[in-house]
Amino acid sequence: MASKKGAYETTASDTDFRKKYDREEYAQRAKEREAKEREENKARYEAKLAGKKYYKPLTGDETLTQARASRLDVSQNVGKVTLMPAGAATGKRGRGAGFYCADCDLTFKDNLQWVEHENSMQHLRAIGQTGEVKRATADDVHERILQIWERLEEEKKQDVKTLGERLEVRKEEEDREREERRQKRLAVAERKRLEKEAELKVKQEYGEDVRVEGEHDEDDMMAMMGMKGFGSSKK
Amino acid sequence: MANHRADEKRFLDDRGNSGPLAPNGLNPATIMEKPVVDRIIDCYFWKDQCFGVNEADIVSRVVDQVHFIGGTYGDSQKPSPFLCLAFKLLQLAPSDDILREYLDFGGEKFKYLRALACFYIRMTRQAKDVYRFLEPFLPDSRKLKQKRRTGTTLTYMDQFVDDLLTKDRVCATTLYKMPKREILEDLEVLEPRVSALGDIEDLLDGEDVQEVDPDAAREDDSDVEMSNREPADEREDERSPERASS
Ligand SMILES: [Zn+2]
Repeated sequence: MASKKGAYETTASDTDFRKKYDREEYAQRAKEREAKEREENKARYEAKLAGKKYYKPLTGDETLTQARASRLDVSQNVGKVTLMPAGAATGKRGRGAGFYCADCDLTFKDNLQWVEHENSMQHLRAIGQTGEVKRATADDVHERILQIWERLEEEKKQDVKTLGERLEVRKEEEDREREERRQKRLAVAERKRLEKEAELKVKQEYGEDVRVEGEHDEDDMMAMMGMKGFGSSKK
Repeated sequence: MANHRADEKRFLDDRGNSGPLAPNGLNPATIMEKPVVDRIIDCYFWKDQCFGVNEADIVSRVVDQVHFIGGTYGDSQKPSPFLCLAFKLLQLAPSDDILREYLDFGGEKFKYLRALACFYIRMTRQAKDVYRFLEPFLPDSRKLKQKRRTGTTLTYMDQFVDDLLTKDRVCATTLYKMPKREILEDLEVLEPRVSALGDIEDLLDGEDVQEVDPDAAREDDSDVEMSNREPADEREDERSPERASS
Protein backbone atom coordinates (compact mmCIF):
# COMPACT_ATOMS: atom_id res chain seq x y z
CA MET A 1 0.00 0.00 0.00
CA ALA A 2 2.64 2.43 1.08
CA SER A 3 4.63 1.71 -2.05
CA LYS A 4 1.69 2.78 -4.17
CA LYS A 5 1.73 6.20 -2.68
CA GLY A 6 3.50 8.64 -4.89
CA ALA A 7 5.72 11.54 -4.05
CA TYR A 8 2.70 13.54 -2.99
CA GLU A 9 1.44 11.52 -0.09
CA THR A 10 -1.67 13.55 0.35
CA THR A 11 -2.95 12.73 -3.14
CA ALA A 12 -3.62 9.13 -2.32
CA SER A 13 -5.57 9.88 0.80
CA ASP A 14 -7.59 12.47 -1.13
CA THR A 15 -8.46 9.83 -3.66
CA ASP A 16 -9.35 7.38 -0.94
CA PHE A 17 -11.64 9.89 0.57
CA ARG A 18 -13.35 10.67 -2.73
CA LYS A 19 -13.79 7.04 -3.60
CA LYS A 20 -15.41 6.39 -0.28
CA TYR A 21 -17.69 9.34 -0.75
CA ASP A 22 -18.67 8.20 -4.27
CA ARG A 23 -19.33 4.71 -3.03
CA GLU A 24 -21.68 6.00 -0.39
CA GLU A 25 -23.47 8.20 -2.82
CA TYR A 26 -23.79 5.47 -5.43
CA ALA A 27 -25.10 3.09 -2.84
CA GLN A 28 -27.63 5.63 -1.77
CA ARG A 29 -28.67 6.31 -5.36
CA ALA A 30 -28.90 2.61 -6.17
CA LYS A 31 -31.12 2.14 -3.16
CA GLU A 32 -33.41 4.92 -4.30
CA ARG A 33 -33.47 3.60 -7.83
CA GLU A 34 -34.32 0.12 -6.65
CA ALA A 35 -37.11 1.45 -4.51
CA LYS A 36 -38.42 3.46 -7.42
CA GLU A 37 -38.22 0.52 -9.75
CA ARG A 38 -40.00 -1.67 -7.25
CA GLU A 39 -42.70 0.95 -6.97
CA GLU A 40 -42.91 1.30 -10.75
CA ASN A 41 -43.08 -2.45 -11.23
CA LYS A 42 -45.83 -2.61 -8.71
CA ALA A 43 -47.75 0.16 -10.47
CA ARG A 44 -47.08 -1.49 -13.82
CA TYR A 45 -48.37 -4.80 -12.46
CA GLU A 46 -51.44 -3.18 -10.97
CA ALA A 47 -52.14 -1.37 -14.23
CA LYS A 48 -51.86 -4.64 -16.07
CA LEU A 49 -54.27 -6.32 -13.69
CA ALA A 50 -56.70 -3.48 -14.31
CA GLY A 51 -56.25 -3.93 -18.06
CA LYS A 52 -54.63 -0.51 -18.47
CA LYS A 53 -51.36 0.68 -19.91
CA TYR A 54 -48.77 1.95 -17.49
CA TYR A 55 -47.10 5.35 -17.85
CA LYS A 56 -44.61 7.01 -15.55
CA PRO A 57 -46.38 9.15 -12.99
CA LEU A 58 -46.59 12.83 -13.81
CA THR A 59 -44.12 15.06 -11.98
CA GLY A 60 -46.21 18.21 -12.28
CA ASP A 61 -43.67 19.88 -14.58
CA GLU A 62 -45.39 18.64 -17.73
CA THR A 63 -46.80 21.07 -20.24
CA LEU A 64 -50.10 20.77 -22.06
CA THR A 65 -50.12 19.23 -25.50
CA GLN A 66 -50.73 21.50 -28.47
CA ALA A 67 -51.81 20.97 -32.02
CA ARG A 68 -49.02 20.85 -34.58
CA ALA A 69 -48.17 24.25 -35.97
CA SER A 70 -47.89 22.73 -39.42
CA ARG A 71 -47.96 19.37 -41.07
CA LEU A 72 -45.65 16.87 -39.47
CA ASP A 73 -42.28 17.32 -41.14
CA VAL A 74 -41.42 14.18 -43.03
CA SER A 75 -39.13 16.00 -45.46
CA GLN A 76 -36.02 14.93 -43.57
CA ASN A 77 -36.87 11.39 -44.56
CA VAL A 78 -37.90 12.06 -48.09
CA GLY A 79 -35.88 10.31 -50.75
CA LYS A 80 -34.41 7.77 -48.39
CA VAL A 81 -34.86 4.12 -49.17
CA THR A 82 -36.25 2.52 -46.06
CA LEU A 83 -35.89 -1.21 -45.82
CA MET A 84 -37.23 -2.66 -42.62
CA PRO A 85 -37.54 -6.25 -41.49
CA ALA A 86 -40.95 -7.58 -42.44
CA GLY A 87 -41.83 -8.24 -38.82
CA ALA A 88 -41.01 -4.75 -37.62
CA ALA A 89 -44.54 -3.64 -36.89
CA THR A 90 -43.74 -0.89 -34.41
CA GLY A 91 -40.77 1.07 -33.20
CA LYS A 92 -37.31 -0.41 -33.27
CA ARG A 93 -34.81 0.63 -30.67
CA GLY A 94 -32.01 2.85 -31.85
CA ARG A 95 -31.38 4.84 -34.95
CA GLY A 96 -32.08 2.95 -38.12
CA ALA A 97 -33.48 3.27 -41.58
CA GLY A 98 -36.84 5.01 -41.49
CA PHE A 99 -38.42 7.62 -39.26
CA TYR A 100 -36.38 8.26 -36.15
CA CYS A 101 -37.61 9.77 -32.88
CA ALA A 102 -34.64 11.25 -31.06
CA ASP A 103 -36.58 11.76 -27.82
CA CYS A 104 -37.39 8.09 -27.48
CA ASP A 105 -34.52 6.65 -29.55
CA LEU A 106 -36.91 4.66 -31.70
CA THR A 107 -37.16 4.15 -35.45
CA PHE A 108 -40.39 3.65 -37.39
CA LYS A 109 -40.84 2.23 -40.82
CA ASP A 110 -43.29 4.75 -42.24
CA ASN A 111 -44.80 8.16 -41.56
CA LEU A 112 -48.08 6.68 -40.34
CA GLN A 113 -46.32 4.70 -37.62
CA TRP A 114 -44.21 7.71 -36.85
CA VAL A 115 -47.15 10.07 -36.37
CA GLU A 116 -48.87 7.41 -34.28
CA HIS A 117 -45.80 7.35 -32.08
CA GLU A 118 -45.65 11.16 -31.88
CA ASN A 119 -49.24 11.03 -30.64
CA SER A 120 -48.64 8.19 -28.20
CA MET A 121 -48.65 8.68 -24.46
CA GLN A 122 -45.23 7.03 -24.33
CA HIS A 123 -43.78 9.78 -26.52
CA LEU A 124 -45.73 12.59 -24.87
CA ARG A 125 -44.41 11.57 -21.46
CA ALA A 126 -40.91 11.39 -22.91
CA ILE A 127 -41.14 15.02 -24.00
CA GLY A 128 -42.86 16.09 -20.79
CA GLN A 129 -46.39 16.60 -21.99
CA THR A 130 -49.64 15.55 -20.42
CA GLY A 131 -51.60 14.71 -23.55
CA GLU A 132 -54.21 17.23 -22.45
CA VAL A 133 -55.17 20.22 -24.55
CA LYS A 134 -56.29 23.59 -23.27
CA ARG A 135 -59.92 24.32 -23.98
CA ALA A 136 -60.47 27.48 -26.01
CA THR A 137 -63.15 30.04 -25.13
CA ALA A 138 -65.37 31.94 -27.58
CA ASP A 139 -63.02 34.91 -27.11
CA ASP A 140 -60.03 32.73 -28.04
CA VAL A 141 -61.89 31.62 -31.14
CA HIS A 142 -62.79 35.21 -32.04
CA GLU A 143 -59.18 36.24 -31.53
CA ARG A 144 -57.93 33.40 -33.74
CA ILE A 145 -60.32 34.29 -36.55
CA LEU A 146 -59.16 37.91 -36.40
CA GLN A 147 -55.51 36.87 -36.34
CA ILE A 148 -55.85 34.62 -39.39
CA TRP A 149 -57.90 37.21 -41.25
CA GLU A 150 -55.33 39.93 -40.60
CA ARG A 151 -52.51 37.65 -41.63
CA LEU A 152 -54.26 36.85 -44.91
CA GLU A 153 -55.03 40.52 -45.54
CA GLU A 154 -51.40 41.38 -44.88
CA GLU A 155 -50.26 38.67 -47.29
CA LYS A 156 -52.67 39.99 -49.89
CA LYS A 157 -51.27 43.49 -49.43
CA GLN A 158 -47.76 42.13 -49.78
CA ASP A 159 -48.82 40.39 -52.96
CA VAL A 160 -50.25 43.59 -54.38
CA LYS A 161 -47.11 45.40 -53.35
CA THR A 162 -44.85 42.87 -54.97
CA LEU A 163 -47.07 42.99 -58.03
CA GLY A 164 -46.63 46.76 -58.09
CA GLU A 165 -42.92 46.34 -57.61
CA ARG A 166 -42.78 43.79 -60.38
CA LEU A 167 -44.60 46.15 -62.73
CA GLU A 168 -42.21 48.93 -61.82
CA VAL A 169 -39.19 46.73 -62.42
CA ARG A 170 -40.62 45.64 -65.75
CA LYS A 171 -41.27 49.24 -66.77
CA GLU A 172 -37.68 50.13 -65.91
CA GLU A 173 -36.43 47.20 -67.92
CA GLU A 174 -38.55 48.16 -70.87
CA ASP A 175 -37.34 51.76 -70.66
CA ARG A 176 -33.77 50.57 -70.59
CA GLU A 177 -34.30 48.26 -73.54
CA ARG A 178 -35.99 51.03 -75.47
CA GLU A 179 -33.07 53.33 -74.71
CA GLU A 180 -30.60 50.64 -75.80
CA ARG A 181 -32.44 50.17 -79.06
CA ARG A 182 -32.49 53.92 -79.58
CA GLN A 183 -28.75 54.11 -78.92
CA LYS A 184 -28.16 51.25 -81.34
CA ARG A 185 -30.24 52.97 -83.97
CA LEU A 186 -28.34 56.19 -83.41
CA ALA A 187 -25.03 54.33 -83.62
CA VAL A 188 -26.05 52.72 -86.90
CA ALA A 189 -27.14 56.06 -88.29
CA GLU A 190 -23.91 57.65 -87.14
CA ARG A 191 -21.85 54.88 -88.71
CA LYS A 192 -23.71 55.28 -91.96
CA ARG A 193 -23.20 59.01 -91.85
CA LEU A 194 -19.49 58.55 -91.21
CA GLU A 195 -19.20 56.02 -94.03
CA LYS A 196 -20.94 58.41 -96.35
CA GLU A 197 -18.67 61.23 -95.30
CA ALA A 198 -15.63 59.03 -95.79
CA GLU A 199 -16.85 58.10 -99.27
CA LEU A 200 -17.38 61.69 -100.13
CA LYS A 201 -13.97 62.55 -98.84
CA VAL A 202 -12.37 59.81 -100.98
CA LYS A 203 -14.13 61.22 -104.00
CA GLN A 204 -13.00 64.68 -103.16
CA GLU A 205 -9.47 63.46 -102.54
CA TYR A 206 -9.54 61.58 -105.80
CA GLY A 207 -10.86 64.64 -107.56
CA GLU A 208 -8.47 67.03 -106.03
CA ASP A 209 -5.28 65.08 -105.63
CA VAL A 210 -5.21 62.01 -107.85
CA ARG A 211 -7.06 63.19 -110.88
CA VAL A 212 -4.84 65.06 -113.22
CA GLU A 213 -6.63 68.00 -114.74
CA GLY A 214 -7.85 67.32 -118.30
CA GLU A 215 -6.74 63.69 -118.36
CA HIS A 216 -10.19 62.17 -118.43
CA ASP A 217 -12.01 65.01 -120.06
CA GLU A 218 -12.59 63.18 -123.28
CA ASP A 219 -14.04 60.13 -121.52
CA ASP A 220 -16.25 62.37 -119.45
CA MET A 221 -17.50 64.10 -122.52
CA MET A 222 -18.27 60.81 -124.24
CA ALA A 223 -20.06 59.51 -121.19
CA MET A 224 -22.11 62.61 -121.05
CA MET A 225 -23.12 62.10 -124.64
CA GLY A 226 -24.08 58.47 -123.95
CA MET A 227 -21.19 56.98 -125.81
CA LYS A 228 -18.53 54.88 -124.36
CA GLY A 229 -16.15 52.13 -125.17
CA PHE A 230 -15.44 52.55 -128.81
CA GLY A 231 -12.38 50.54 -128.17
CA SER A 232 -8.90 51.59 -127.71
CA SER A 233 -8.16 51.35 -131.40
CA LYS A 234 -10.25 54.45 -132.15
CA LYS A 235 -8.55 56.42 -129.54
CA MET B 1 -63.42 23.76 -17.43
CA ALA B 2 -61.61 20.51 -17.92
CA ASN B 3 -59.05 20.17 -20.67
CA HIS B 4 -59.58 18.09 -23.79
CA ARG B 5 -57.70 14.91 -24.47
CA ALA B 6 -55.38 15.38 -27.44
CA ASP B 7 -56.56 12.16 -29.06
CA GLU B 8 -59.91 10.45 -29.49
CA LYS B 9 -59.37 7.35 -27.36
CA ARG B 10 -61.28 8.38 -24.29
CA PHE B 11 -64.02 9.95 -26.43
CA LEU B 12 -64.55 6.67 -28.25
CA ASP B 13 -64.30 4.66 -25.03
CA ASP B 14 -67.44 6.52 -24.04
CA ARG B 15 -69.33 4.98 -26.94
CA GLY B 16 -72.11 3.01 -25.35
CA ASN B 17 -71.09 4.31 -21.95
CA SER B 18 -72.07 7.43 -20.14
CA GLY B 19 -70.25 10.14 -22.07
CA PRO B 20 -71.87 13.57 -22.09
CA LEU B 21 -74.72 13.72 -24.59
CA ALA B 22 -75.23 16.32 -27.30
CA PRO B 23 -78.02 18.90 -26.77
CA ASN B 24 -80.30 16.81 -29.01
CA GLY B 25 -79.84 13.83 -26.71
CA LEU B 26 -77.62 11.84 -29.05
CA ASN B 27 -74.27 10.35 -28.07
CA PRO B 28 -71.71 12.36 -30.07
CA ALA B 29 -69.44 9.34 -30.34
CA THR B 30 -72.07 7.38 -32.26
CA ILE B 31 -73.61 10.10 -34.45
CA MET B 32 -71.32 9.14 -37.34
CA GLU B 33 -71.51 5.54 -38.38
CA LYS B 34 -68.82 3.23 -37.03
CA PRO B 35 -67.24 2.31 -40.40
CA VAL B 36 -66.92 6.03 -41.17
CA VAL B 37 -65.44 6.77 -37.75
CA ASP B 38 -62.97 3.91 -38.23
CA ARG B 39 -61.89 5.38 -41.56
CA ILE B 40 -61.47 8.79 -39.97
CA ILE B 41 -59.33 7.73 -37.02
CA ASP B 42 -57.19 5.52 -39.27
CA CYS B 43 -56.36 8.22 -41.80
CA TYR B 44 -53.19 10.24 -41.80
CA PHE B 45 -54.96 13.60 -41.83
CA TRP B 46 -56.68 12.74 -38.59
CA LYS B 47 -53.51 11.64 -36.83
CA ASP B 48 -51.44 14.53 -38.14
CA GLN B 49 -53.84 17.48 -38.29
CA CYS B 50 -56.58 16.68 -35.77
CA PHE B 51 -54.38 15.64 -32.85
CA GLY B 52 -54.23 18.17 -30.03
CA VAL B 53 -56.60 20.52 -31.83
CA ASN B 54 -58.87 22.74 -29.73
CA GLU B 55 -61.80 25.01 -30.65
CA ALA B 56 -59.51 27.81 -31.88
CA ASP B 57 -57.23 25.46 -33.83
CA ILE B 58 -60.32 24.29 -35.71
CA VAL B 59 -60.38 27.70 -37.39
CA SER B 60 -56.74 27.44 -38.46
CA ARG B 61 -57.25 23.94 -39.78
CA VAL B 62 -60.34 24.85 -41.78
CA VAL B 63 -58.63 27.85 -43.36
CA ASP B 64 -55.47 25.90 -44.23
CA GLN B 65 -56.84 22.45 -45.02
CA VAL B 66 -60.50 22.54 -46.01
CA HIS B 67 -61.04 23.36 -49.67
CA PHE B 68 -64.17 21.32 -50.29
CA ILE B 69 -67.08 19.79 -48.40
CA GLY B 70 -67.87 16.10 -48.51
CA GLY B 71 -67.90 12.84 -46.63
CA THR B 72 -65.66 10.17 -48.05
CA TYR B 73 -64.38 10.54 -51.57
CA GLY B 74 -62.63 8.68 -54.36
CA ASP B 75 -62.58 4.95 -54.91
CA SER B 76 -60.72 4.45 -51.65
CA GLN B 77 -63.48 6.33 -49.78
CA LYS B 78 -60.96 8.59 -48.14
CA PRO B 79 -62.52 10.72 -45.40
CA SER B 80 -62.39 14.40 -46.32
CA PRO B 81 -60.65 16.96 -44.06
CA PHE B 82 -64.13 18.48 -43.70
CA LEU B 83 -65.49 15.22 -42.29
CA CYS B 84 -62.45 14.67 -40.05
CA LEU B 85 -62.82 18.14 -38.53
CA ALA B 86 -66.57 17.58 -38.09
CA PHE B 87 -65.70 14.46 -36.11
CA LYS B 88 -63.20 16.51 -34.09
CA LEU B 89 -66.01 18.94 -33.28
CA LEU B 90 -68.09 16.00 -32.04
CA GLN B 91 -65.23 15.28 -29.64
CA LEU B 92 -64.68 18.91 -28.61
CA ALA B 93 -68.42 19.64 -28.20
CA PRO B 94 -68.11 23.42 -28.63
CA SER B 95 -70.66 25.64 -26.90
CA ASP B 96 -73.25 27.78 -28.69
CA ASP B 97 -71.23 30.98 -28.28
CA ILE B 98 -68.25 29.34 -29.99
CA LEU B 99 -70.54 28.11 -32.77
CA ARG B 100 -71.79 31.68 -33.22
CA GLU B 101 -68.18 32.77 -33.79
CA TYR B 102 -67.74 30.03 -36.40
CA LEU B 103 -71.02 30.92 -38.12
CA ASP B 104 -70.98 34.70 -38.02
CA PHE B 105 -67.68 36.45 -37.43
CA GLY B 106 -65.67 33.57 -38.88
CA GLY B 107 -68.32 32.43 -41.33
CA GLU B 108 -68.41 35.78 -43.11
CA LYS B 109 -64.72 35.49 -43.81
CA PHE B 110 -64.28 31.76 -44.24
CA LYS B 111 -67.16 30.03 -45.98
CA TYR B 112 -65.99 26.51 -45.20
CA LEU B 113 -65.93 27.38 -41.49
CA ARG B 114 -69.60 28.34 -41.72
CA ALA B 115 -70.37 25.16 -43.68
CA LEU B 116 -68.60 23.02 -41.09
CA ALA B 117 -70.41 24.67 -38.18
CA CYS B 118 -73.77 24.21 -39.95
CA PHE B 119 -73.06 20.52 -40.46
CA TYR B 120 -72.03 20.09 -36.81
CA ILE B 121 -75.09 21.95 -35.55
CA ARG B 122 -77.38 19.76 -37.67
CA MET B 123 -75.83 16.67 -36.06
CA THR B 124 -75.98 17.81 -32.44
CA ARG B 125 -78.66 20.45 -31.84
CA GLN B 126 -82.39 20.18 -31.26
CA ALA B 127 -84.58 20.75 -34.30
CA LYS B 128 -85.79 24.22 -33.29
CA ASP B 129 -82.20 25.35 -32.78
CA VAL B 130 -81.09 23.80 -36.05
CA TYR B 131 -83.72 25.89 -37.86
CA ARG B 132 -82.78 29.01 -35.93
CA PHE B 133 -79.04 28.59 -36.44
CA LEU B 134 -79.14 27.54 -40.08
CA GLU B 135 -81.99 29.40 -41.78
CA PRO B 136 -80.24 32.82 -41.71
CA PHE B 137 -77.70 31.36 -44.15
CA LEU B 138 -80.20 30.38 -46.83
CA PRO B 139 -79.42 33.67 -48.65
CA ASP B 140 -75.66 32.87 -48.60
CA SER B 141 -74.93 32.12 -52.25
CA ARG B 142 -71.18 31.59 -52.03
CA LYS B 143 -69.82 28.68 -54.00
CA LEU B 144 -68.62 25.52 -52.32
CA LYS B 145 -66.69 22.69 -53.89
CA GLN B 146 -67.97 19.25 -53.07
CA LYS B 147 -66.17 15.93 -53.47
CA ARG B 148 -68.00 12.66 -53.73
CA ARG B 149 -67.00 9.18 -54.70
CA THR B 150 -67.59 10.08 -58.33
CA GLY B 151 -65.72 13.36 -58.46
CA THR B 152 -65.84 17.06 -57.70
CA THR B 153 -68.96 19.16 -58.20
CA LEU B 154 -69.94 22.71 -57.46
CA THR B 155 -72.62 23.67 -54.97
CA TYR B 156 -73.60 26.72 -52.93
CA MET B 157 -73.91 27.52 -49.26
CA ASP B 158 -77.68 27.97 -49.53
CA GLN B 159 -77.97 24.60 -51.28
CA PHE B 160 -75.84 22.93 -48.60
CA VAL B 161 -77.88 24.48 -45.78
CA ASP B 162 -81.06 23.46 -47.57
CA ASP B 163 -79.71 19.90 -47.85
CA LEU B 164 -79.01 19.90 -44.13
CA LEU B 165 -82.57 21.02 -43.40
CA THR B 166 -84.32 18.66 -45.80
CA LYS B 167 -82.18 15.62 -46.61
CA ASP B 168 -81.56 12.67 -44.36
CA ARG B 169 -78.04 11.89 -45.46
CA VAL B 170 -75.30 14.48 -45.95
CA CYS B 171 -71.51 14.02 -46.05
CA ALA B 172 -71.48 10.29 -45.32
CA THR B 173 -73.63 10.89 -42.25
CA THR B 174 -77.22 9.91 -41.58
CA LEU B 175 -78.92 12.91 -40.03
CA TYR B 176 -81.47 12.35 -37.32
CA LYS B 177 -85.08 12.90 -38.34
CA MET B 178 -86.15 16.45 -37.60
CA PRO B 179 -89.80 17.42 -37.40
CA LYS B 180 -90.83 19.65 -40.30
CA ARG B 181 -90.77 23.35 -39.63
CA GLU B 182 -94.57 23.77 -39.83
CA ILE B 183 -95.05 21.14 -37.14
CA LEU B 184 -92.80 23.14 -34.86
CA GLU B 185 -94.77 26.22 -35.86
CA ASP B 186 -98.04 24.49 -34.99
CA LEU B 187 -96.55 23.54 -31.64
CA GLU B 188 -95.53 27.18 -31.32
CA VAL B 189 -91.92 26.16 -30.79
CA LEU B 190 -90.98 28.19 -33.83
CA GLU B 191 -92.51 31.36 -35.16
CA PRO B 192 -93.52 31.35 -38.83
CA ARG B 193 -90.92 32.76 -41.15
CA VAL B 194 -91.59 36.03 -42.94
CA SER B 195 -90.45 35.74 -46.50
CA ALA B 196 -87.06 37.34 -46.90
CA LEU B 197 -86.51 36.48 -50.50
CA GLY B 198 -90.17 36.85 -51.34
CA ASP B 199 -91.35 36.45 -54.89
CA ILE B 200 -88.01 35.36 -56.29
CA GLU B 201 -88.03 32.31 -54.07
CA ASP B 202 -91.62 31.49 -54.97
CA LEU B 203 -90.68 31.61 -58.62
CA LEU B 204 -87.68 29.38 -58.08
CA ASP B 205 -89.74 26.92 -56.07
CA GLY B 206 -92.20 26.73 -58.95
CA GLU B 207 -89.41 25.65 -61.25
CA ASP B 208 -87.99 22.73 -59.35
CA VAL B 209 -90.82 21.41 -57.30
CA GLN B 210 -89.58 17.85 -57.32
CA GLU B 211 -86.26 18.83 -55.71
CA VAL B 212 -87.28 21.28 -53.06
CA ASP B 213 -89.95 20.67 -50.54
CA PRO B 214 -91.96 23.88 -50.92
CA ASP B 215 -92.89 23.92 -47.27
CA ALA B 216 -89.37 23.54 -45.98
CA ALA B 217 -87.97 25.84 -48.62
CA ARG B 218 -86.81 29.34 -48.09
CA GLU B 219 -89.20 31.62 -46.46
CA ASP B 220 -87.90 33.97 -43.89
CA ASP B 221 -86.52 32.82 -40.60
CA SER B 222 -88.58 33.50 -37.55
CA ASP B 223 -85.66 34.31 -35.33
CA VAL B 224 -86.91 37.06 -33.06
CA GLU B 225 -83.74 39.04 -33.44
CA MET B 226 -83.91 38.83 -37.21
CA SER B 227 -87.60 39.66 -37.52
CA ASN B 228 -87.01 43.00 -35.86
CA ARG B 229 -84.97 44.09 -38.81
CA GLU B 230 -86.13 46.44 -41.51
CA PRO B 231 -87.23 44.68 -44.68
CA ALA B 232 -84.84 46.89 -46.62
CA ASP B 233 -81.96 45.36 -44.71
CA GLU B 234 -82.99 41.93 -45.69
CA ARG B 235 -83.24 42.83 -49.33
CA GLU B 236 -79.67 43.98 -49.12
CA ASP B 237 -78.66 40.80 -47.37
CA GLU B 238 -79.94 38.91 -50.31
CA ARG B 239 -77.26 40.44 -52.46
CA SER B 240 -74.45 40.40 -49.93
CA PRO B 241 -74.62 37.26 -47.85
CA GLU B 242 -71.60 38.35 -45.86
CA ARG B 243 -73.74 40.88 -44.12
CA ALA B 244 -76.59 38.57 -43.33
CA SER B 245 -75.00 37.38 -40.14
CA SER B 246 -73.27 40.46 -38.85
ZN1 LIG C 1 -40.84 9.57 -29.30
